[in-house]
Amino acid sequence: MAREEYFKWAESLLDPAKTFEKPEALADIKIVELCTLILGPSLPSYLSEMGATVFKVELPGAGDTMRSLTPFAKFFRGCAMGWLKEARNKYHLAIDVRVQEGKELFRDLVKISDVVVENLRAGTMDRWGIGYRQLSEINPRIIYIALNGFGQWGPYLERPSYDAIAQSESGMAWITGFPDKLPLKSGIWLADYFGGLMGAAGVLGAIAFRDKTGKGQYIEYSQAENLMRVLDWTWLYQHFTGKGRERYGNRDVAICPSDIFHAKDQLVAIAAATDKQFKGLCEAMGKADLATDERFATQLSRLKEDHATALLDIISKWAAEKTCAEIDQLACKYGFAASSICTGKDHFKDEHLIKRNFTYTVHDPIYGDFVEEGIVPKMSETPGRIKWAGKPVGFDNEYVLKRFMGMKTDAIKGLKERNIIGKWVDQPPGRRPPEGWDGKRGTILF
Amino acid sequence: MAHHDKDKEMSWGDWIRALDDPAMARTKPEAMEHITVLDCSYANIAGCFASSIFGELGAEVIRIEPPAGDPARNFSPWGYMHMGTGLGYLNEGRNKFHITLDLEKAEGQEIFKKLAKRADVVIETFLPGVMDEMGIGYRQLSADNPGLIYCAIYTYGQFGPKANCGKADVDVADQAYSGITSVTGEPPEDPNNPRPSEVPTKQGNWMGWYAGGAWAAVSSMAALHYRTLTGKGQFIDVSPAEAFGRCINYGLTYYDGFDDTIPRVGNYDVGVFPYTYFECKDGYAFLSGFSDINWKALTTIINRPDLRDQFPTIFDRLNLDNMKIMYKEIEKWTLAHSYDEIYDAVMDYNKNIGEGIVVPGRISAPMDTMKAENWWVREAFEKINDPYYKELMMANQAWKMTESPPRVKWICRPVGADNEYVYNLKLGWGEKQLNDLKGKGVI
Repeated sequence: MAREEYFKWAESLLDPAKTFEKPEALADIKIVELCTLILGPSLPSYLSEMGATVFKVELPGAGDTMRSLTPFAKFFRGCAMGWLKEARNKYHLAIDVRVQEGKELFRDLVKISDVVVENLRAGTMDRWGIGYRQLSEINPRIIYIALNGFGQWGPYLERPSYDAIAQSESGMAWITGFPDKLPLKSGIWLADYFGGLMGAAGVLGAIAFRDKTGKGQYIEYSQAENLMRVLDWTWLYQHFTGKGRERYGNRDVAICPSDIFHAKDQLVAIAAATDKQFKGLCEAMGKADLATDERFATQLSRLKEDHATALLDIISKWAAEKTCAEIDQLACKYGFAASSICTGKDHFKDEHLIKRNFTYTVHDPIYGDFVEEGIVPKMSETPGRIKWAGKPVGFDNEYVLKRFMGMKTDAIKGLKERNIIGKWVDQPPGRRPPEGWDGKRGTILF
Repeated sequence: MAHHDKDKEMSWGDWIRALDDPAMARTKPEAMEHITVLDCSYANIAGCFASSIFGELGAEVIRIEPPAGDPARNFSPWGYMHMGTGLGYLNEGRNKFHITLDLEKAEGQEIFKKLAKRADVVIETFLPGVMDEMGIGYRQLSADNPGLIYCAIYTYGQFGPKANCGKADVDVADQAYSGITSVTGEPPEDPNNPRPSEVPTKQGNWMGWYAGGAWAAVSSMAALHYRTLTGKGQFIDVSPAEAFGRCINYGLTYYDGFDDTIPRVGNYDVGVFPYTYFECKDGYAFLSGFSDINWKALTTIINRPDLRDQFPTIFDRLNLDNMKIMYKEIEKWTLAHSYDEIYDAVMDYNKNIGEGIVVPGRISAPMDTMKAENWWVREAFEKINDPYYKELMMANQAWKMTESPPRVKWICRPVGADNEYVYNLKLGWGEKQLNDLKGKGVI
C-alpha cells in the first residue's frame, strides 16, 4: 500500500479532532492525591489525561506550594504557570487532614477510590493515621504509592530532597553539560516530571496485578533511584572499566555521529544511529566516500575517539556552510536525524504539534482558552484529553462530597462551619479565582 | 488486611520494609506475568526501554532482531564492547528473549503474523508505514487479533504534517525538538564572546528516548486495562520528542501569556532562587532557600543577614541580575567550606533551630554514586551473575512493590540466542524447521 494511504489511514484512526467522541482508558479508576509541588501531582495528572478521576486534596487556605511557583514571579490570569498545567483535569478539594474529622473524611474518600498518591516525608501519613497501614485495612484493594527523594527506609531516610537533589545525587547532573563548566541541572524539573511518569508506570503495573488478583499493594518510590535507572550505560561502563563517566557536552560518545552543531544561522542537532543513516548523511554532505572510509564505515569504528573527533570536525565544517533549514531538508531526503533547537515559541507555531494535540488549546471554564503542553500518546480507541486546568483551592468541595460521597447539604455545611473543609485565601497569589470572576463560572455545584 | 497489634507498634520504616524490601522480590508473583510483548525496536532505545518496563514487571518479552542483530547493540561509549554487546544495549536487554527474524522477507512476515496473533503488545520504531507496507502493521495484525495493542514510536509520530518527513529518530534530535534543550545549558557570561560550552545543552543520557519509552509503556499499560474491561485493543502513536517535551515546566503557556520564551539560565531556576549548585572546597553542593522563611534560614546559616535585608521578597530574588549578586555572595561561604561542613551546618540548623528549612545535597560523580552504600542497601543497584554475560551490575527500577515487585532475571542475550526455545514454545518447531529457515536467511 502506498505510504500516502497509510498516513491517511493513521490520521483518520488517531485524529485528535474526534477525541471527545471516544471513551477513556482509565474511566473506572479513582485517584486520591495528597501531594505538593510536581513529583507527586504530575503522576495523577498523567493518568487523568487517560481518563482517571482525580481528587486533589489540599489544606484549606493556601493549599499546594506549587501555586506560588511561576517564572520571574509572573502570574498568568492569577495562576502560577507550573500549577496550571499539573493540576489539570482534577477535582479540587480542601480538607484539613490534620484534625480528626478531616482524617475521617479523607478515609471515606479512600474507601471509594482505587489509588492513593502522596509525596510527604516518609512516615508522615502513617503518623497522621492515614498511611497505608491504616488505609489498607479499610480498602484492601487500594494501590498506594509514596513518592519522595530517598524512599521510606535506608541510610538516607532523614534527608530532605528536591528535584535538583535527585538530579545531583543520581549522577545525572554530573554527566550533563560541558567539562569546563559545573555539572548541569536540567532546565526543567526533570526528576519530578519524569519521576511522576515512571511512578505512573508502577501504578499501572499494580492495576494490572489487581485486575488479575483483586489485590491492592503499596509502592515505595525514590526519584533519585528512578534517574539512576535511566543513566543508560553509565554503571556498566564504570563497572567494567573502573573509569568514571564525565560530561561530554552535546556530543554522544556512544552513538557517532550525534552532536549539536553551529549551522550558518542557528544551532542544529545532527545524528546517524545506523550505517544506513550515516551513508545518507555522507551523501547529503556530498562526501559519499566517507561511508566507505575504514575509519567511519561502521558504528564501532566511528566511535573510536580519534575517528569520532575527525568525523565530527568534518560535519561541523559542512554544517557551518548550510542553514538549519537546508540541513533539515537534506535530513528528510537522505534519512538521517536533524532538528533545530525548539523553544516554546516554536512549539506554539508548529502546525505539526498543533495537529497532534501536543500544542493543546484548553477551553477552561474558569480561565478561558489558553495553550499548554498537551497529550503525548495518541490512542486510537481511548485518546487522551484535557478538560480543564487547575482550579482555586477547595473549588469542587461541594460537588465531590455530594456526588461521590453522597453527603447531604447540611452535613457539608457543618464541615464548612467546623473548618474541616474550606476554600481559598486571597493572599498569597495563585489561590483565588481570577480577576473579574463572576462567583459562578466553572462551579459545578454550589 | 488485618494487621496484628504487634504490627501496629512497629515503626513505619520497619513495618513497610518487612513488606517491600526488594531482597524478597524473587519470592513474589509478577504483575505482567500473563502478558506477551513483541518488541521489534530497531536502532532505538525508546522501544527497548518500553519493553524493559514490561519485562521488569514480569511480562514475556520477545525481542525481534534482524539476523545480523539490532544496530543498537553497537551503541556504546567509544565502542567498548562486553562479549560482543555494547553497554547501552546490554543495559536494556533485561529479562527479554532474543530471537532473530527477517521482517523484510515474505516468510519472515508470515512468521511474525503468527507470533502477533497470540501476543498482547507489539512495540516498533520503524519509520511510519514501514510495517504496514510489509503487511505486518496494525491494520493487518489487528484483523487477526482485535485485542492487540500496537505501539509505534517515532520522533514525528504516525500522522501530522511532519510524519512523512523521512528523518531518522535519534535521541539528540528528540531532545532538541522537545523544547527542553533550549532551556538547558549555560548562558554566555560575555554575550559578545560566547564560549563553545555556553550553548543549549542536551541531557547527558538518552533522556529523549527514555521519556519516549516510558510513555509507550504507560499508554500501553493503560490500554491493557481498557482491554481487560472491553476486550478491545488499539493503536498507539508515541513521539519521544513530545514525551520528553511533556516534562517541560512551562513553555507554551509562557509564550501564550507573555509573548516570550523562557531563557536559558544555567543552574539557576527562573521560578526559584536560591535553588542551585555551588562550588565548595572539595566539590559541589546544592543549596536552596526560596520562600521568605527558608531564605531567612539560609542567610542565618551562612551568617549573612545583610543579604536578607537587601533581597527581602521573592520578587527581589526572582530577578536575574539579583540572582547573580546573591550567587556570588553565597558562593563565598561555600568555597570556604567542605561539602561535609556545609551539610552538617545545614542539617544542624534544620534539626535544632528549624525555623524554615534549607535542603543540602552533594553533586555526586556517578563513580561516587556507585560507591554509596545507600543504593546497595536499597537494591537500587544490584550485582547480577548473568548466565552468559557473567558478573555485572545494574540499576533497578525504583518501584518497591509489596505484592508484585519488579526484578531482573538476566541482563541480556546474544543475537538469536533464544531462537530454539521461543520458536519451539510458540510455533512448535524443532531443529529441522530452524535449520531450514536459517538456510533461507530468515532467522
